Formats: sequence, C-alpha cells, structure tokens
Amino acid sequence: MNWTRYLRTWEFALAVLLVLEIVVLGVINPVFFNLENLLYSTLDFTHILFAALPLTLVIITAGIDISGVSIMGLASITLGLVWVAGVNVFVALAVALLVGVLAGAFNGVFVSRTDVNPLVITLGTLFMFAGLAQGMPALLDKLGFKAYGSAGLAAYQYEGITGLPESFIMLTEGTVGIVPYPFIAVLLFALVLSLLLHRTRFGRYLYLIGVNPKAAIYSGVPIRRVLVWAYVLSGFGAALAGVMLTSYFTSARADLGGDALLPIITAVVLGGADILGGSGTILGTLLAGMILGFLRQGLLAIGVTNDLIQVVVGGLLISAMAAKQLIHVYGEYRLKRWALSKKEGR
Amino acid sequence: MKRFLRSREALVTLLLVLLIGATGLFNPNFFKFDSIVEIFNASLTLVLISLGEMFVILTRGIDVSVGAIAGLSAVVLGTTLNLGWPVGFAVLAAVITGTLAGVFNAFGVTFLRVPPIIMTLGTLGIYRGLMRIITGGSWIENLPQNIKEPNLWGFLGVPFFVWVTLALLALTAYVTLRIRVARYFYAVGDNEQGAFLLGLPVRWTQFAAYTLAGSFAALAAVVFTSQIGFVSMNAADGFELKAIAANVLGGVSLTGGVGTPLGAAVGALFLTAVHSMLIFLGVPGIWDNAFAGAILLAVVYVDYRVRQALEVQRRQARIRGETHHQGGAP
Repeated sequence: MNWTRYLRTWEFALAVLLVLEIVVLGVINPVFFNLENLLYSTLDFTHILFAALPLTLVIITAGIDISGVSIMGLASITLGLVWVAGVNVFVALAVALLVGVLAGAFNGVFVSRTDVNPLVITLGTLFMFAGLAQGMPALLDKLGFKAYGSAGLAAYQYEGITGLPESFIMLTEGTVGIVPYPFIAVLLFALVLSLLLHRTRFGRYLYLIGVNPKAAIYSGVPIRRVLVWAYVLSGFGAALAGVMLTSYFTSARADLGGDALLPIITAVVLGGADILGGSGTILGTLLAGMILGFLRQGLLAIGVTNDLIQVVVGGLLISAMAAKQLIHVYGEYRLKRWALSKKEGR
Repeated sequence: MKRFLRSREALVTLLLVLLIGATGLFNPNFFKFDSIVEIFNASLTLVLISLGEMFVILTRGIDVSVGAIAGLSAVVLGTTLNLGWPVGFAVLAAVITGTLAGVFNAFGVTFLRVPPIIMTLGTLGIYRGLMRIITGGSWIENLPQNIKEPNLWGFLGVPFFVWVTLALLALTAYVTLRIRVARYFYAVGDNEQGAFLLGLPVRWTQFAAYTLAGSFAALAAVVFTSQIGFVSMNAADGFELKAIAANVLGGVSLTGGVGTPLGAAVGALFLTAVHSMLIFLGVPGIWDNAFAGAILLAVVYVDYRVRQALEVQRRQARIRGETHHQGGAP
C-alpha cells in the first residue's frame, strides 16, 4: 500500500502539530474549542497567509522577496487615495491589486534580467515601495489634491485615511455561516496556487529552476518569464494582504504590515520550503502559517505579552530549522553506514 | 590606481561627491564645514554596524539581527547606567552583550547549521523581544550626564566619536588587507570548499564573522546612546537592512569574498548623506527611503551592466587572440 508514505511527509507532521496545538491551547483555555471563536481569530493572521503562500513559489526558485511588507502598505495607501479621489471603493481595490502586480513585475523583471541577488533587489524595492507609500499622500497634497481624506493631515498621521464605506468593511466582517470571508478567500487562494504549483508545467519549472537553473536554461525552460510570474504572484499576494488589512483596520495606511516580515518568512520556512530552493509546498506553508497564527492567539489569550511571543516565534523558527538539519545529518550518516555495510558484503 | 578607479568604492565616492556638489549649488550652506561634520557624525551608527555586517557578508553569510543587537546592547547600557554603574563598566556590559548575541548567531549558523538568514531572522525576533521585556516596553530616559559627555568632546572641530570611528575603520582596513588570519574571511566567502581543503578553519572563520558583527553593533549602540541621550524601544530599528544596503552600495558582494571596509563605510556615509541632502534641498524626510532604495537599485544595475560589458570585452579579446594564433600556425 502506498498511502503510508503520506504519513511520513512534513505536511502530515505539521497537520498533527496543528491539531495538537489547538487541543493543548483548548485545554488551557476552553474558549479555544469554540469553533466560531477559532475561525474569527484567523482574521488576525490571514494577511500573513496571503503574503506567505505565493512567496513559497519564489523561495522554491531559490529566490526571495522581502519587499512584500512594503507592497502591503503601498496597496493600502493606493486604495485609500483612489477612493478619496471619488472613485468607487471596489474599483480602488482593483487598482490597489494592480499596483501590487506591477510592483511584483518590477521585482521579477529585475531579478530575471540581471544576475543580482534577489535579496539585494527586493531590499532596494522594500525601501522604494515603502518610501513611495509614505511620500505619495504628501506629494498629492502639495499638488492641491486633498489626499488626507476629510479629516485632514493631523488625523491622517494618527489613523490613516478613514471613513471607508461599509460595503468595503464587510469584506472582512462578513461571514458565510461562521467562516469569515478572508479565511475562505485564503483557502481558495491556496487551492489555486497549489494546483498551479503541483499540477501545471509552470509549477514543475519553478522546482527545476530552484534545483538547477543551468539545467532549466538548457532544457528550454522560459526561465525569465517563469521568474517574472513568480514575483508577480508574490506582489499580488502582498497587495491582497494589504487590502485585507485595510478593510480589517478600517483605514488605509502607508505603514501597514511593517512588522510582518518575520512571521511571513517563518511560515514559509517552517512549512518545509528550502531557502536554497527546490523544495516546498503550498499546503506546508498554509499549515505552518496557521500553526504560528493560532499559537500567537493562544498565547495572547493566556496573557503572554506580545514581546515574549516574538521571542517564542524566533526560537521556534531556529529550533525547527536546527532539528531539520540534525535529522538531515543523521540521515546522511545512516546512508553512509548502509553503503559501507553493502560494500563489505555484510 | 587604475584598479581603484574601476572599483565600486570609487564609483560610490564619485556619486557622493557629485551629489554633495549638486546640493551645494542649490544651497551654499551645505558646503560649510559644520554641515559636513554633521553628516559624518550622523553616519557613525550606520558605519559601525555596516563594518560588522561586512565580515559576515564577506564569508557569504547574512546577518539581519544587527539592528536588534544594537537595540539590545543600548538597553543594557541604559539600564546599567541608571543602576549607577560607572560608564566604563556599563559600556563594557553593553559590548559583552552584543558580542554574546553575535556568538549565539555564530553558534546557530556554524554548529547547528541553520541557514544564516533563518538564524538571524529568528534572533531578530528574540533580541527585539528581550529588549522590551528587560525594560517593560518603556523608554530609558534620564541617563546620567557622563554618558553624553564624550559626544561633546572634540579635536580640531571634529567630534570625538568621529575620530574613534575613523581609527576603527583604519584598523579594520589594515587588518583585513594585511593580516593573514583576516584574509580567511575572503577565502571562506569566495570558495568555502576550497578554503576547507586548504586546511583553513572555515567554521571558526564564520564564527568570528558573526561575533564581530555583534561587537560592532554594540559599539554602534554606545555611540548613538551617547549622541541622543536616551534609549527608545525602536532604537536602531531597520538598521539591519540599511547596513546590508550600505555594504552592497559600497561593493561588498553578497556572493562572498569581495569588498573592503572602506567600501562598507562609504556606502553607509552615502545613505546617511542622502538624508541630509534631501533636507537641504527642501524635500520632506519621508522621501528618504524611496531615494535610498532607488539609488541602491541604480547602483547595482549599473554595476551589472559594467560587469557584463567587461565580460563581453574579455571574450572578444580571447576570440581575437585565438584566431591570431591559428593564423600564425601553418
């Protein structure tokens, strides 16, 4: 029977860990067993998932995109500004997503057309997009456009562009039964990305580029186009995260998502993606992101401070990686012993 | 000399001089001795952090926790000072804290074999969290006067800390260019396997790099605490990314083995100068990041094109050389 091999995958281990975590947290604090509560609390970390899921594709190609946290702010402020200009809020939403796609395309073109390290490129765009998001409202205001919204500059600096219409706020407040819209959206997004990664040629190309870019070039993979699309998806996911946060916080701000970099990369890496490229799955990232998110919620609920949670998440990231490395080293050792024993004819 | 002119250090220095010149044309006040000294003074923190980061990048690693280490060291400095420790001991405690934080990174990267970006991203969270736990989240204010005093000392109109940093820069430059052991950083970063086969202590070289990054971050913490006289909870926030940007700008390659301390320092000076220049040109400070990012991208792009052109030139020379040779054979 072949099904037992699923039991040995990293994703299965993550799924077990997720269930265990919910049980343990639920025993400590029974509120956690309330399904409605549990689902509602996902709203606090769906934006991490939106950004982390497509980032998995980028990391599989042995690249990285740290500019996502700035794209969130850029998308949010774009949405706000377009709405302030008098455009329908859902058209503004589409414009914000388009900005995310364009920002991702910029990263992708730069990465695929030069041999510069993706970390350097997205570090540059991290600053650039954040700067644009911060500077745009001030510039537009100087040009005589009332960019700060009805409340003026002081209110803008304090709480961003507020007063967004109810129909837009409902995007995160609304539910199907007891499942919030964003959580459904993130599951759909994961499903689409998963099919894309595991069921299409594009997905296989991503892995090949990550394992051996030279082999990919020589076997005729359109490596540039594939890379651009990977970064476009990453930009799009970050923009989705920015839009979702805008609706959740009911205000458009330039600095949304600024502290999300650590949890986003933790989710991808804990989900089993190798930072050196060539491995990783969407399901793994989804599960790891949920484990981290619920852990945070659970610890906050039993009175652990945000600062200590940061320490715990950092420690978790390091120990997960260290454990993985140790298992790897042990596996190599066993393999060598096995090969040696075969050689000696035992 | 020709080699220096082609180097990234020269390119960035030239850009810096051009920008300073252009700013000076718009606002002659910029040329005053005081404003130039002010730029140097403001760049010290980033210069020191970037110098430490350089060692890590030379070995082909990356350390995104240096800003957090600086913050943690500053908190230790501020707390011990307010407990009434003499300045010397408090500074020592801060430097030891930074070094130990670096040692922890080094241990994870070299012995647990956690990939550097993961290890230091994890410790970024840990150190930032610890920093707030130690202080309970409030700023450390009312520091004794004696920590602020060194900032007021000066010689020839140049502040004390500028001299100290210049001395450290000169020392690092001398050591990395002339001392055998320090060349290991380059060897390990350029070709780890090769360095190992040559019998170099690869692991310990990497260990030293992360430790040095921690120590330099702690020194930076001492400088900025003395300069601003209090420790805020987002002290040195985001400096890890700025330090990496400064190194890349100054020609320290993330693929390891290439770069000089002078380059890292010029890169850091450049990023700080952009800020001052924008102010002198009347551009609001919020545009800082956009300019810094655009300049970083422009520099790496130009560098890529130059390398590409040189490569084409080299290949053409080789083809010409070979045809010439074949023509002479019969």
